[in-house]
Amino acid sequence: MESDAAEGLAEPDIVAQLAAGSQEALAELYDRYGRLAYSVAVRVLGDPGRAEDAVQEAFLNIWNHAASFDGRRGSLRTWLLTSVRNRSIDYLRGRSGHERQELELRPALAEVGLRSDPWREVSLSLERSAVRDAMGSLPVEQRQAVELAYFAGYSHREIAEMTNVPLGTVKGRIRLALEKLSSYLQGRGLVDV
Amino acid sequence: MSDHEELESSVAAWVLGAVEADEVDILRTHIDACPTCRETALRLGRTVSALPLEVEEITPPARLRERILTAAAATSPGRVASARPRTIREPRRMRKPWVQGAPGRGVFPALAVAATVVLAILVGFVAGDVIGRGAPASAPVVRSTLAGHDSLAGATATVIDLKGEGVALVDFNGLPQLDSGRVYEIWLITAAGRPDPAGVFVPDSNGSKFVLVSRSLAGYRQMAVTSEEGPAGTPAPTQQPQLYGNLS
Repeated sequence: MESDAAEGLAEPDIVAQLAAGSQEALAELYDRYGRLAYSVAVRVLGDPGRAEDAVQEAFLNIWNHAASFDGRRGSLRTWLLTSVRNRSIDYLRGRSGHERQELELRPALAEVGLRSDPWREVSLSLERSAVRDAMGSLPVEQRQAVELAYFAGYSHREIAEMTNVPLGTVKGRIRLALEKLSSYLQGRGLVDV
Repeated sequence: MSDHEELESSVAAWVLGAVEADEVDILRTHIDACPTCRETALRLGRTVSALPLEVEEITPPARLRERILTAAAATSPGRVASARPRTIREPRRMRKPWVQGAPGRGVFPALAVAATVVLAILVGFVAGDVIGRGAPASAPVVRSTLAGHDSLAGATATVIDLKGEGVALVDFNGLPQLDSGRVYEIWLITAAGRPDPAGVFVPDSNGSKFVLVSRSLAGYRQMAVTSEEGPAGTPAPTQQPQLYGNLS
């Protein structure tokens, strides 16, 4: 199932080929990140059928807008996964994109050694392990606030209401959580300082 | 609190996509103009981009790859597809009521007894209390508790039923680690004893997990958890649950 022409390409080359209409580049992108994208959608939606829809929309979004991709704003992986998350939240909450705050594309984690498949896999595995450890290190209420916002699409005001704590407390938990995660990941060289 | 302090307190939530719609533009304008908040947003934004890596990996069905490539072939890059994709769903299999059991699965009658006992114990004691008293009356939030037994005796779960949203959040704690390839599967049980699958998960290294159940709990009497074959779980439980409770 691997595509020969695009296999092992660096991200800028994949983007250029996508913009040129290369199906092989899209297949390569799917082979690299399709599993992760689907996992994010299932995590948000808890429904494999709707997760497939969300992932398809995200890939087609990249397919249709590859020419406008700006690598300075984030990696292709970040663009894809942010798109999957946003579309999954839309399905989940039954809202159209303009009615809520869409996550914006941001400069991503430092991604190193991504040219060869084995090293890409190892690198991704290390990143995932570090992120899970980082999330696991957070106090329960901070992790809960981040997960409700990111994976369930709730606003800080909604989180305050459902957990019955003041809005300021929720803001503080989110800030503390992201600062701790940032520090943890920086310490492992996964986020640029 | 100054205007800057007020806005600065929401920068992390803005980065996380968690501010209200009417706050988005105000915060963006401030962040663009404020070097301190811009640096914070940039730094925390890199961290937010890592959050998808926290999920447990699940292998997508093989058809998804072909489905995407086929849809892409129907449109040229730069031309936005107008319609949302349609999911090809397999016919939903009929399941027998959990209380009646299935051939060769003797756990189900036992579960029915256990569920009845739990129901009797829980009603009137921990039937769930309303949290979030500030929430609108039209969108009540009701909490229930699941308790572990036998091998899951140390496990607990709090179910937060967001009735107005048609979803529920479940906060699991104290769960034992699973054998490789196994997952915990959540079941919603009707009054007739039929268990409907409601999601799978793997707890973190602390035995905790916060799970979103993206369906309404209306019409269900209990929630239960079993250990099943991963990564997708099973359409019907293969063992008697040892973590369960009544839904309010």
